[in-house]
Amino acid sequence: MKILEIKNVHKIYNSSEVQVHAVNGVNLDFEKGEFSAIVGPSGSGKTTLLNMIGGLDSPTEGEIRVDQTNLAGLKSSRLIDFRMRHIGFVFQSYNLIPVLTAKENVEFIMNLQKWNKRERDKRTYELLEAVGLKDRAHSRPSKLSGGQQQRIAVARALASKPKFVLADEPTANLDTKSSENLLNIMEELNREEGITFIFSTHDQRVMKKARRVITLEDGRVISDEWKKKNGSS
Amino acid sequence: MIEKNMTLAWRNLWRNRRRTLITAASVFFAVLFAVVMRSLQLGSYGTMFRNAIESYSGYIQIQQEDYWENKTVDNTFPYEPGLREQLTSDKNVLETIPRFESFALASSGPTTRGVMVMGIHPEKEQHLSKVSEKLVKYRLTPDAVQAIRAEPQIPDKVKELLDLYESHSYTGTKRLQLDLKIDDDDAEDLMPVILQHARFDNGHIQLGEPGAWVGEKLSRYLGLEIGDSIVLIGQGYHASTAAGKYAIRGIVKMPLPDIDNRIVYLPLDVCQDLYNAGDNLTAISLHVDDNGDKAVSATVSRLEKVLAGQLRVLDWKEMNEVLVSQLDADNKSGMIMIGILYLVIAFGVFGTVLMMTAERRREFGVLVAIGMQKRKLASIVTSEIFMMGLLGILGGCMAALPIILYGMEHPIVFKGEFARIWEDYGFEPVMSFQGIDTYFLWQVVIVAVMVVIALGHPLSKIFRLKVVNALRA
Repeated sequence: MKILEIKNVHKIYNSSEVQVHAVNGVNLDFEKGEFSAIVGPSGSGKTTLLNMIGGLDSPTEGEIRVDQTNLAGLKSSRLIDFRMRHIGFVFQSYNLIPVLTAKENVEFIMNLQKWNKRERDKRTYELLEAVGLKDRAHSRPSKLSGGQQQRIAVARALASKPKFVLADEPTANLDTKSSENLLNIMEELNREEGITFIFSTHDQRVMKKARRVITLEDGRVISDEWKKKNGSS
Repeated sequence: MIEKNMTLAWRNLWRNRRRTLITAASVFFAVLFAVVMRSLQLGSYGTMFRNAIESYSGYIQIQQEDYWENKTVDNTFPYEPGLREQLTSDKNVLETIPRFESFALASSGPTTRGVMVMGIHPEKEQHLSKVSEKLVKYRLTPDAVQAIRAEPQIPDKVKELLDLYESHSYTGTKRLQLDLKIDDDDAEDLMPVILQHARFDNGHIQLGEPGAWVGEKLSRYLGLEIGDSIVLIGQGYHASTAAGKYAIRGIVKMPLPDIDNRIVYLPLDVCQDLYNAGDNLTAISLHVDDNGDKAVSATVSRLEKVLAGQLRVLDWKEMNEVLVSQLDADNKSGMIMIGILYLVIAFGVFGTVLMMTAERRREFGVLVAIGMQKRKLASIVTSEIFMMGLLGILGGCMAALPIILYGMEHPIVFKGEFARIWEDYGFEPVMSFQGIDTYFLWQVVIVAVMVVIALGHPLSKIFRLKVVNALRA
């Protein structure tokens, strides 16, 4: 079942002197339950593509549909609402709200969606348990390590049961052990709860874990490989 | 959800504790200074107006049509029996206080001065100017000073001050105690001794009995003491000659030095005789129940209808035009000072808001990216900045309150040379505080306006936020 369709998407930045074609005619489909990585060298258009998929940026040309909804057709406030309900984000530098505790960060989106307290608490503690940080529920981000903060960010992204999670270089600021730990958690959530993850990454470990690796170069898809169950292409 | 947003706003406020405290402190001190200064300024105006009104004009006067423009005894009016009833039938008028006022040359020995002669009804005047309470009760005459110095219990520091205040007159013990710097603890022992030697006995004036009360400064100028005589020469009704000689029965110390320098009080009928004016009056002052601005204007309007153009009704503002405009100008300059103060503070607040917005641009981007509507984000930031302003304003008002309440009970009374300078300018050397009034509310309004203006920047940034750019910040 297709949850995301990218049709002939272009993104052109016009600076005063040059025109940069950051994404150049990308066509991709994503199915529910994918664990995919978008890879490529710096400047290949990974983050730009991810931003457009997440509705944070709009394509110059082409169409992005999430569950049949064309993101370009949504007004600004509807788009924000759509993101809140259907798309989870994990950023490279965690971006937790510093004045909220781990628990409050996780339940932040549920609060925006006006969940009742009982359901909110239940879901929050489930997620904190899933990322192994239930005991740090009342710690502020400044008291957590980078790896722990990124795990909280994953829990926050999953809180409202989104259709997919976009993770932009989620392991870039983490050490090996924390990266391994985070990837295992995301893989487990993908396998057991069927949550779709789409990463942009340079990290070989992420690429190894991903079941689909899409390679971009100069804004174009130069390869789109599915791995077999044993991990080989 | 509102509760959650407020919690978030409150926590955000304390992210940079030092900056928040400095900004709130700047608002706090601005409010404290502005409120105390306004209280002092308005309170002092109140005292000046009260002195001018209660020692001279009254809140409302009834006069002959042309008297205000041309103050001669020819422009007087008869005090007809029905007039008093007509005036007191107004719900705000408690009593009519008849007066006859004119000018004369006053002589005593070789000295002469132009004086204001005021014919009063001594009993009725108790409702308004309470002249008898302004009679000098104590005076540090050279003899009194010598006698006090000879008392064994008088400490040296008081003896030194006695020299400084020799010849000063007092209408009560409080100012005397203040001038001699006698603590309340010592007053019980020392004051009775001092008062015993400084006692100054006055006599009363009453209708039908020739006799005069003169201002303290005027008495000094003319060298008058109780029992001396004063000769008054002026122009009477219809160009007749007005001349009379009166025994000094008392010396009054008027709060306004300008009046103290030239006032001579006579019983009303004696004064009317002096000016050959029969039963005519120059004015009827009204003792009113409610002397607030609104009530006074309403009373004036009603009386104007009742008197139907026969007589003129003036309120205290018309009668004290110069003082009103002087104090209005002073009030405006005070407001400009406060305006400048708030302008400086506003730049400080704006600086803080500017920094806060710049520092949190990325965070704003994240919040909008994960699904917070911009209007909700704007409401949180608005709450934060209002809370910061509120901290300052509440703190400032709370700190100002005890100062003002204390000041209302203990007005600042100037002493020595400084007091004399004030008196030379025609003001009573006292600075009073005004109680809690609309000026408190104005500080809230000013800070709120300041905050609203400062809010323009973050709100414009939030509503024009491009999430992708903000995430790169």
